[in-house]
Amino acid sequence: MNLNNHPDSSTLLAYAAGAVNEGFSLVIAAHLELCPECRDEVTEAEALGGGLMQHLPAAEMSDAGMAQIWERIEADPIPEKVHRRPAETWGLPAVLAPFVPGGLSGVRWRTLVPGIKQLRLENVESGQGSVRLLSISPGATVPQHTHLGSELTLVLQGSFRDEMGHYKQGDLADVDSSVQHQPVVDSDQPCICLIATDQRLKFTSALNRMLQPLVGI
Amino acid sequence: MVAAQNCSTGRTRGEDAAALAIQWMGAVAESQDRDAFSSLYEQFAPKVKRYMMRQGADDATADDLAQETLVQVWRKASLYDSGKAAPSSWIFTIARNLRTDRLRRQKYHEVELAEELLESGLAADGRDRAVEHVHANQMAELVSKLPTDQAEVIRMSFFEGLSHAEIGQRLDLPLGTVKSRLRLAFGRLRTAIGD
Repeated sequence: MNLNNHPDSSTLLAYAAGAVNEGFSLVIAAHLELCPECRDEVTEAEALGGGLMQHLPAAEMSDAGMAQIWERIEADPIPEKVHRRPAETWGLPAVLAPFVPGGLSGVRWRTLVPGIKQLRLENVESGQGSVRLLSISPGATVPQHTHLGSELTLVLQGSFRDEMGHYKQGDLADVDSSVQHQPVVDSDQPCICLIATDQRLKFTSALNRMLQPLVGI
Repeated sequence: MVAAQNCSTGRTRGEDAAALAIQWMGAVAESQDRDAFSSLYEQFAPKVKRYMMRQGADDATADDLAQETLVQVWRKASLYDSGKAAPSSWIFTIARNLRTDRLRRQKYHEVELAEELLESGLAADGRDRAVEHVHANQMAELVSKLPTDQAEVIRMSFFEGLSHAEIGQRLDLPLGTVKSRLRLAFGRLRTAIGD
């Protein structure tokens, strides 16, 4: 898969540092499965994390530490040979599959406005933000909006275009409050995206602001 | 016990320590070598504990989480691939995930690769990771040589787990400035180890 749009370097660094919320980590991990370049960058950031940890001053471990470790290990001595990847992914990134059992064709959508349907992923901790799947019909537009915080959008199906570029399957749009954008779907099939925010969106026009409580974005 | 081997001249202490830790990891994975594991514990547990304290854990909790991290090192040793990451990097990821789970009550979602991708172990550009990961220590040393404002945002990300927005609030900086500092800092470190 040849991808043109990736998370910002600062976003990948925050991910490797564990400095993003759960929703962001889900969207980034899903992109990483499709993107070896970004995996490389995260590996380097994790090397930085390991090096930084190594350079911390040692803290004194409790006297009982080593003995307690052996107790814990004896309690369950079988080594893990885990591969957590689920058996069935329905064509989705594996990390996302457990949240969308049956895949995209089995989603029970809720219509927000004509042409736009969504599914909120309720079991992902995102503070004031949210994680959702959005399905947007060909030609439909998401009302122009900006963001109080950051927004990560991963394309799972179809494609869309906005002021910044063209996004197709596997591409990730990484935007923050400096950006005001109006995505338009330009694929023949509906464009389905996984979207995580850490704050609420801010719609630009008064009319859309009135709609916001209704659509719950 | 895996003896210190091959401490040839011309290598830095960091590289020797990394090479030793790789041998210990191998001995734990292959033969559940308890002496090798004790050595890993002595080298890493006090660092993991300090990391947990920086993340806001009290002494007892940090001690417990450092122990739990090392228990996972024992259990998952056979999954460690020295071609992909230095032991310090791998142990850091275990500590980070545990801290997200226990101190933040959130899940850290990691990429889940298909078997064939896991096995190929190739970097996107075909570079040899085994050579590069030895430089993890150098990378950390280089952080102290970064401009103060760049080193600061790196440390806030890794040691306090602050998001870009939280760093912005703490330092009274716009989000865009925080991101560009991190981008610059990370870019410099990547360039430095790539040379």
